[in-house]
Amino acid sequence: MDWDLLDLNPRIISAVKKANLKSAREVLSLTCFDLQRLTELSQVDVQLLYTAVATVYRKAPPITALQLYQRECPVSESWQRLTLGCPVLDSLLRGGVPLSGITELAGESGAGKTQVGLQLCLTVQYPQEHRGLGSGAVYICTEDSFPIKRLRQLITQQSRLRPELPAELVHSIRFSDNIYIEHTADLAALQTCVTRRVPILLSRGLVRLVVVDSVAALFRCEFQSDETVERARHLLAFASTLQRLSHSFQAPVLCINQVTDVVDNFDPARCSFGLVETRVLPALGMAWANQVQVRLMLRRLEGQGEAGGSGGVPRKLEVVFAPHMPQASCLCSVGVEGVRGIPSEPQPSGLGIQ
Amino acid sequence: MQRAISSFALAPAVKVKLINAGFHSAADVCDLQPLHLSKEAGISQEEAEEVLQATRCESNQGRAGVSRLTALELLEREQALGSIVTFCSALDSALGGGLPVGKTSEICGVPGVGKTQLCIQLAVDVQIPVCFGGLGGQVVYIDTEGSFLVQRAVDVARAAVEHCSLLAEDAEQQEALKEFTVETILSNLFLFRCHDYVELLAEACLLPNFLAQHPEVRLVVIDSIACPFRRDFEDLSHRTRLLNGLAQQLIQMATQHSVAVVLTNQMTTKIANCQSKLVPALGESWGHAATQRIILHWEGQRRLASLFKSPTHREVTVPYQITGQGFRDVVLSYPWKTRADFAISSGSACKRPRMEGGGRT
Repeated sequence: MDWDLLDLNPRIISAVKKANLKSAREVLSLTCFDLQRLTELSQVDVQLLYTAVATVYRKAPPITALQLYQRECPVSESWQRLTLGCPVLDSLLRGGVPLSGITELAGESGAGKTQVGLQLCLTVQYPQEHRGLGSGAVYICTEDSFPIKRLRQLITQQSRLRPELPAELVHSIRFSDNIYIEHTADLAALQTCVTRRVPILLSRGLVRLVVVDSVAALFRCEFQSDETVERARHLLAFASTLQRLSHSFQAPVLCINQVTDVVDNFDPARCSFGLVETRVLPALGMAWANQVQVRLMLRRLEGQGEAGGSGGVPRKLEVVFAPHMPQASCLCSVGVEGVRGIPSEPQPSGLGIQ
Repeated sequence: MQRAISSFALAPAVKVKLINAGFHSAADVCDLQPLHLSKEAGISQEEAEEVLQATRCESNQGRAGVSRLTALELLEREQALGSIVTFCSALDSALGGGLPVGKTSEICGVPGVGKTQLCIQLAVDVQIPVCFGGLGGQVVYIDTEGSFLVQRAVDVARAAVEHCSLLAEDAEQQEALKEFTVETILSNLFLFRCHDYVELLAEACLLPNFLAQHPEVRLVVIDSIACPFRRDFEDLSHRTRLLNGLAQQLIQMATQHSVAVVLTNQMTTKIANCQSKLVPALGESWGHAATQRIILHWEGQRRLASLFKSPTHREVTVPYQITGQGFRDVVLSYPWKTRADFAISSGSACKRPRMEGGGRT
């Protein structure tokens, strides 16, 4: 950083140079006392230095919520959501998946998590007027190999899933060309993937959706039960990388998570998020939960017959928490053409929680 | 006047020279001429002038300013500042009328329990016009997690406007309502986004200037303080020092500019004596940072707010709920349920929830 550009007394600037300080970050992350010691300036001068450096360092001036609301500013798209491709599911999520922040989808094996992930990889490719993002997706597999057959099937069934879209549009998109598949078998590979390869794809505009299927697999198998602190540190680093990517490219991140059984003895450290009748909770504990912006759960409703005639056991998609949504749920089914919500009969459920 | 030279905000080198020359307290230098002092202590004349300015300014302030306030005046001044209602009357009465202006408060809780919801609710409620018993102030909202979704702010603002329009009676209130719309609420909410701790520290340095330019601001929200400070840190003692410095800045801001400062904090699992429990993050010393600490937590399907640390009010736990309209009281809608619910809530009203049992060690 060129210190001479700062609007400060030359005496302060020369003291900063003499102290061998390199960047604005360095100055700001020093405490007042340390900075005083290094530069041999008085406290008043150090305060002036802080203010001048902070002015230069600040990337964007504050905006009012009204500006944000009226879409006047560059980050305005946060109003927008990525559709799930089904009006019932979209209305549960108030429009779909938020563009910034981590959205988590947890559920038991066979609940249909991967199906939702695949479906988003397709809806993201539609243009913005059809509530997609007009770009591709990167799908990071850590558990199983990528279900390529199922993806093909979903692509051929797109016009059945989304009859409201013009047929020529659906046929004109080459869906499978825009899905980048990454297989990561260990934590190191996952780290390189999200720190190196995914940013390149995002910055070239090739993708605007990141799906990680699943976060739990690697973090659960690579750490012993007594290494929770180490695991939490890695999880935090991983989550903050994803958050940064999501915020800077306005690209939604969907993390699929496993669940863990609730052992019924009372554990003061367990947080059930107000879910009482559930036997399972999302895996990876509090360290991960703190990083998640929207937490969804998908579960199979066994023994409840076929739903809506579209085949398969009915599932329940549940909002556990989100900054803009109440706890709510809806029934859905996984059919040949994809995941669909089942419109609920009018009943006094809905907005009021509890 | 007996204040030691070493305690002044001067360059360390100058302080050493002064002390070596035998100047130990402010009284020693106060009556000297700058030229004289510079010769005696072996410092430049410019530095000598700075020293004299610092010591004299201090002694004048000491005489005229703070020291003359009596406790009664202090009380009156504090009461005049008012407080911000939460729209949950149980929590308001636990806090003595709402969140106090001029103080710092910390809201802790697990993800999804309603920290951000309470922040958004406060950001709207601080703007309620004075004739409705509000403060009619503006808000600074520093979002470090990206969890401020304007869609939600609109919901809460709309509900607050409706609430006030139902209460409006006289002409003055009708007049005030014309200015109290969803649009004005949003335009009085200044949103800052910070992505890491350096950006947050930079904003903290600039905030005093912003508050001086916008004297109507009555609330500063940082949602959350934990998120930027829990990643990117290898050296935890450096983190503690930075956090302490930030806490000092915020307390100063709260008193100087008469704003309520609200911080949110995450919870973390702490293992002690082979038992794990949930405690607020950022370590033990951060617990001293804020004047008040409110912990939000789940108990089964109920959401509870516990006043955990407060210099003025007793520790209580009250239920609340998050509705489509925002942060609200729990309404006991089913008469047959009332008695049981009442028994539970009155039973837990006085004692601390189990999860924080023995939390302060």
